Amino acid sequence: MTLAVSILLISAVLALVLFIRPGAIPPAETLPPTAHLEERKAAIYENLRDLSFEFRLGKLSEPDYEKARQALEKQLAKVNAEIASLTGKVRPAPSVEKPTAVKAAEVKTVHKCPSCGAEFDRPMKFCGECAAPMEAAKS
Amino acid sequence: METLGALAILVAFCLAIYSVVASVAGAVAKRPYLTVSGQRAVYGIFILLTVASGILVYALMVSDFRFAYVAARSNRAMPAVYKFAAWWGGQEGSLLLWSWLLSLYSAVVLITNRRKFRDMMPWVTAILMSTQIFFLTLNAFVEPPFQMLAVGRGITAVQDGQGLNPLLQYWTMAIHPPTLYLGYVGFIVPFAFAIASLITKQPGDAWIATTRRWSLITWGFQSMGILLGAGWAYAVLGWGGYWGWDPVENASLLPWLTATAFLHSVMMQEKKGMMKVWNMVLVSATFFLCIFGTFLTRSGIVSSVHAFAQSSLGTWFLGFLAIAITLTVILIVRRLDYLKSETQLESVLSRESSFLFNNLILLASTFAVLWGTMFPVLTEYVMGEKITVGAPFFNKVNIPIGLFLLLLTGVGPLIAWRRSSWDSLKRAFRWPAIMFVVAAAASIAMGSRSFYATICLGLCAFVTTTILMEFYKGSRAIAGKSEMNLVRAAIELTHRNTRRYGGYLVHMGIVIMFIGFSGAAFNKDTTREVTIGDRFTMGPYEFHVDKISDGDNPNYTWQRAEIGVYKNGQFLQELKPERRVYLVTEQPTSEVSIRRRLNEDVYLNFAGMSQTEENKAVIQAYIFPLVSWIWLGFGVLMMGTAVCLVPSKARILASKAEPVSEFAAEKVLAG
Repeated sequence: MTLAVSILLISAVLALVLFIRPGAIPPAETLPPTAHLEERKAAIYENLRDLSFEFRLGKLSEPDYEKARQALEKQLAKVNAEIASLTGKVRPAPSVEKPTAVKAAEVKTVHKCPSCGAEFDRPMKFCGECAAPMEAAKS
Repeated sequence: METLGALAILVAFCLAIYSVVASVAGAVAKRPYLTVSGQRAVYGIFILLTVASGILVYALMVSDFRFAYVAARSNRAMPAVYKFAAWWGGQEGSLLLWSWLLSLYSAVVLITNRRKFRDMMPWVTAILMSTQIFFLTLNAFVEPPFQMLAVGRGITAVQDGQGLNPLLQYWTMAIHPPTLYLGYVGFIVPFAFAIASLITKQPGDAWIATTRRWSLITWGFQSMGILLGAGWAYAVLGWGGYWGWDPVENASLLPWLTATAFLHSVMMQEKKGMMKVWNMVLVSATFFLCIFGTFLTRSGIVSSVHAFAQSSLGTWFLGFLAIAITLTVILIVRRLDYLKSETQLESVLSRESSFLFNNLILLASTFAVLWGTMFPVLTEYVMGEKITVGAPFFNKVNIPIGLFLLLLTGVGPLIAWRRSSWDSLKRAFRWPAIMFVVAAAASIAMGSRSFYATICLGLCAFVTTTILMEFYKGSRAIAGKSEMNLVRAAIELTHRNTRRYGGYLVHMGIVIMFIGFSGAAFNKDTTREVTIGDRFTMGPYEFHVDKISDGDNPNYTWQRAEIGVYKNGQFLQELKPERRVYLVTEQPTSEVSIRRRLNEDVYLNFAGMSQTEENKAVIQAYIFPLVSWIWLGFGVLMMGTAVCLVPSKARILASKAEPVSEFAAEKVLAG
């Protein structure tokens, strides 16, 4: 009796471990490359909220509050800029007029992803196609 | 039945090895089948260990003395609750409980994170199961719980068992070890996530939010386990002490200290991207100290009222610790670039620096306790002579540290993030500082001559004032805007930020406990040999010995004194201290009788019959001022912990901040 129960139990456990239906295997997860930046953004928003609340409670003087708020907003802007560059939603940079006396030869630099080979005309921190780190991230 | 139990442990051991291999192979080779199979193995281990534990518990409950463990830990006369508690009363059973709890935690971790952190979870599984392999090795080969005295139905090896140690037959001891184990085992989970995040170089800190809850719940269990042990010591050992700096007590305190530091400094990583290396070190140290604590308790290398008998387990634990520490240090050093802080400390007068001081002080305390605990072992190894370090050393070092930590709990909330100006600090500290002076002066006026007790009471007033001010200012701000009364506003305030205000409640619990600790400076005691009709006094109380009797039952014989307690001629209560001698082990125990009140406890212990005078009982009487505040403070601490676990009502006050446009983003990019 004990032997039968043992065999049954162990067989059931081994079946649970080894026999996995294809439907039970989750598909590969594709996290957006901006996921960690969105987390950082949420944290900065929470810090802004805390800062505003502490100012209302009188823990900070107005100059200190303004300084801290500007620093956080600068961080937020940086994060938003990174998100925007990763999702390709940045407006082209305004063109700068070159002196007419001498025209420098136009040099077109192509920035290529080392992982998937996608090409971009500006330096990127993370590839917009496969999210691998690029030269700008490594520098 | 015992065959099934032993087989279940052996198969669980094999599955744990399979789970590690499959999880690592699946992660490295990106084979989802292997990672899923490795996770399923965790569930299989849980099922098998539940069966094995169930068999052992059943044998204990029906007093099947064919099992050597049951014969050694249980007897027929024991109440059912202690028969169940015998599961963790001995080495083999408690190790099996450890393995079962680890399998339960692992299964819950996998189920709750089955849709998250796909790249991290195989490594989390591998780390959890590596620890599981270690404990299952002990269960299967070193301390097997299913050794038999006799095999076969109807065969009885012994008529009755030895029974559980009588000191353990007390209600708090029925729950103290499992709650401590829930703490010890639980700290493996944040460690597993931390190491997995290092291995996979997680770009964000989402893993911290996940493990924060685990860490808090685990810390809550660890706190409960420590306080239950203190409550047991107070009520059972007969001398009214609740903490003796026993090595095994210290072993439970060590991971609690580092876990407390981790719970605080992890907030810095979440909010500011700072102290990443600190957090890795703290969460790793917490895990190692849990294993180390288990090693201390089970190896027998230290003398303790708690320790199991000396065994060969010490070598196993040391080996596991050595491997785990080496691999962790190598990984942290190799990933130092990944752990760089995103912002820097700007000012000493900032909340960030108070968190840093908090970490330093808690680590200092951890080191001091560890040093004192291991000193006898080290001196025996180096000099051949065991030099014991007692309570005076620990108190000398840890009382000032504890008071400084108490100060920090009050200072932290008053200081702003990044930097605070002197003016704002002066404003913030004014009332707390006044209350410190008032409380200290009041305690001196009431007769306190202890420097530390006076400072402690002053600091308790300081911290209470800061916490009340935080609640009051925040509630007033909300009440003003939303037309709520202050009480509703306080609830709304707490709900909006449960971590912060739940944390303040936890701090309030600590303050109340410190008030209880300070009462020890005013303890009174006396020992009298009395007979029926005798009276004696202590402090404001008069004790009338009304009756001295004796008797027996199948489990123990007893002697009892019935003593009336009076104050100012008024009868207060009848106390009945008892002395028992358990029949099987012939071990005496004290059943003290306590009159518990908030201001002080009156505590009577029946120490035995007089050796010099016939028919006289030796009664030890104590007055312990404020000791009930310790248990009350613990209740507030647990309530605060529960509040911290409630999700906050998120309100993004984006309207208070200026919108950050794409143009602004470009300005930033352009520098």
